Amino acid sequence: MAHLRVSDVARRFGAVTALDGMSFEVEEGEFYCLLGPSSAGKTTTLRAIAGLEKLSRGRIEFAGRDVTTAPVQGRGMAMIFQTFALYPHLTVRQNFAYPLERERVDRAEIGRRVGEVSELLRVGHTLDRKPATLSGGEQQRIAIGRALIRRPKLLLLDEPLTNLDAKLRHDTRAEFKRLHRELGMTMLYATPDQLEALTMGQRIGVMRGGRVVQIDTPRALYEAPLDTYVAGLVGAPAMNLLPGRVTGGQGGLAVDFGVAGIDLAPGARDLAAGTELVVGLRPHDIRLGRDSARGRTVDAVVHLREPLGDVTVLDLRFGAIEARGAIEAKMVVREEQGALIPEGSAIEVTIDPADLHLFHAETGVRLA
Amino acid sequence: MAAASPHDRMAAPEGAGGFLAWLMAPERRGPLLVAPAVIVLFVMNIFPLLWSFGLSFFNYRANRQDVPDFVGLRFYERVLSDPDVWDRFQTTAVIVGSSVVLQLVIGFLLALMFAREFPLRRILLMLVLAPMMLSFVSVGVFFKLYYEPTFGLLSQFVSTFTGEPFVLLGTPTGAIVGIVVADAWMWSPFVMLLVLAGLVSVPKYLYEAAEIDRASWWRRFRTITFPYIKSLLLLAVLFRTIETFKLFDIVYIITEGGPGTATETIAVFTYRVAFQFFRTSQSSALAYIILFVVIVLTNLYLYAVKRREQEVA
Repeated sequence: MAHLRVSDVARRFGAVTALDGMSFEVEEGEFYCLLGPSSAGKTTTLRAIAGLEKLSRGRIEFAGRDVTTAPVQGRGMAMIFQTFALYPHLTVRQNFAYPLERERVDRAEIGRRVGEVSELLRVGHTLDRKPATLSGGEQQRIAIGRALIRRPKLLLLDEPLTNLDAKLRHDTRAEFKRLHRELGMTMLYATPDQLEALTMGQRIGVMRGGRVVQIDTPRALYEAPLDTYVAGLVGAPAMNLLPGRVTGGQGGLAVDFGVAGIDLAPGARDLAAGTELVVGLRPHDIRLGRDSARGRTVDAVVHLREPLGDVTVLDLRFGAIEARGAIEAKMVVREEQGALIPEGSAIEVTIDPADLHLFHAETGVRLA
Repeated sequence: MAAASPHDRMAAPEGAGGFLAWLMAPERRGPLLVAPAVIVLFVMNIFPLLWSFGLSFFNYRANRQDVPDFVGLRFYERVLSDPDVWDRFQTTAVIVGSSVVLQLVIGFLLALMFAREFPLRRILLMLVLAPMMLSFVSVGVFFKLYYEPTFGLLSQFVSTFTGEPFVLLGTPTGAIVGIVVADAWMWSPFVMLLVLAGLVSVPKYLYEAAEIDRASWWRRFRTITFPYIKSLLLLAVLFRTIETFKLFDIVYIITEGGPGTATETIAVFTYRVAFQFFRTSQSSALAYIILFVVIVLTNLYLYAVKRREQEVA
């Protein structure tokens, strides 16, 4: 029923191309995230789906109907704006009731639904106040309520957490998950924050330059990013992307990065010796200490410590090769371990070849 | 320096040129520089204002050399019980009412038009604003010529249909219409500017949200646009009411208050009382009654300004 299909959508503003062959599908009842940095085209995509933007090319189908040129009002969607867009001169109650005006809903029913929504979002105490007198979190919930009250088939959310502080973001993420579970509504959620996408999305479409470059579940995105762009976007701290080259090694081929070769994971052995690579390595996959059973041990120098409370991020330098410059990488250790490692100390770390992500040096596309 | 007083010694220890040096001292330079303006203001504005207020309590005519005698509030009493005064107030009210309404309607429509982008918008905007920048006298002369029965544009245009010259200013109603049109032509752009400022301050995303919420055009206007321009409209109404209430130049040039006294506004009437009939005290009293009305209106205006500030903040 509430299936959304966006095919080959393009949108140009004069010389600027905001969307360039955007295609993806959202299943009924799915929580779908669009992830990308600002100016990747997330907002334009949502606005195009809502009907606020005209398309230069392409097709949008929703609930089995071509809505490419349908008027905004007829699409049966609701949208939550980054700015919340609450009507400043109306009370919360009137804001809630606003979308129901056209529905030919009688007064009693409006009252009932306003009660229902304000209970769901726990904003009953604010009903007779104006939006400007509410906190950011409350305004956010009013915006959600106004979108939900009409029971839309599709809810579009445009960076709804961007204007909230860190604590509220955390709480509201949980809130969105709860709402999605309780209402079973199809949700399309745009965000520049990989954490939001990973925690909430059932599937994530990663956007770049006005198109979707990879669509996958959060786990698959994290474990097998399609290229260095996605690899750098998903996961925090970001994946280390190091220069590497395939050399002849002890057990066949190896990746040389800085000091020593590391045996390649099986399955990547068909790479010719001498091939230039970008080697991806998650900060969490670098292990402290010598552990020859699990992989190759490398010497490193800690040149910066960032204690984050439960964990500590260490900035490492591998080798001091003058010709190429030191290779730098981040790793994450538990706080109690990190506390024992002062800046400037030399440590040993172990890297499991199976954890390496190999990307083409020029195109950045995943090799293995 | 034979007999230097203690005062001189204190103020100017240098001795010679004592007063000038005292006057030019750094701490007195500021007051000294504004003094000419203050003196002019006092002589030309403040003194006549207070003096005429005093005169309104005396029996005095500016063209006679009598010694004014104190009569208290008699002239106020006389002015307020004069049916002519009330008649002129009525005339003024009719002109103010219709002119302000006309300015509001035209200004509002112009603002709606200029709120969106279209080719040549900037140039047209400048043209539309031009009347506001002109002096009252030139606007008056324009319209006097425009209404002229023999060669005026209006008369020529009407006579192509009727074959007869058209004398707009010949009837009381026609004369009032003529005045109102001239005033509205001049001041509609002012209303437009205010309303436009309000329209531009409405965030665009509210209209988009309303579109998604399926609000009709009228509902969007009522719940989103109007609250943003409401206080500015009030400002426009009050400001234009105050200004039109004092309308003199245009009326005096176009009709001189005629035919008869059909377009004699309270301002023109006061002028006549003061400088044609030379009933100085009576005109002073009348002027102070007008001032009182304007002060009341101005306070309403200031109240509206303050409310707008609170809303915007």
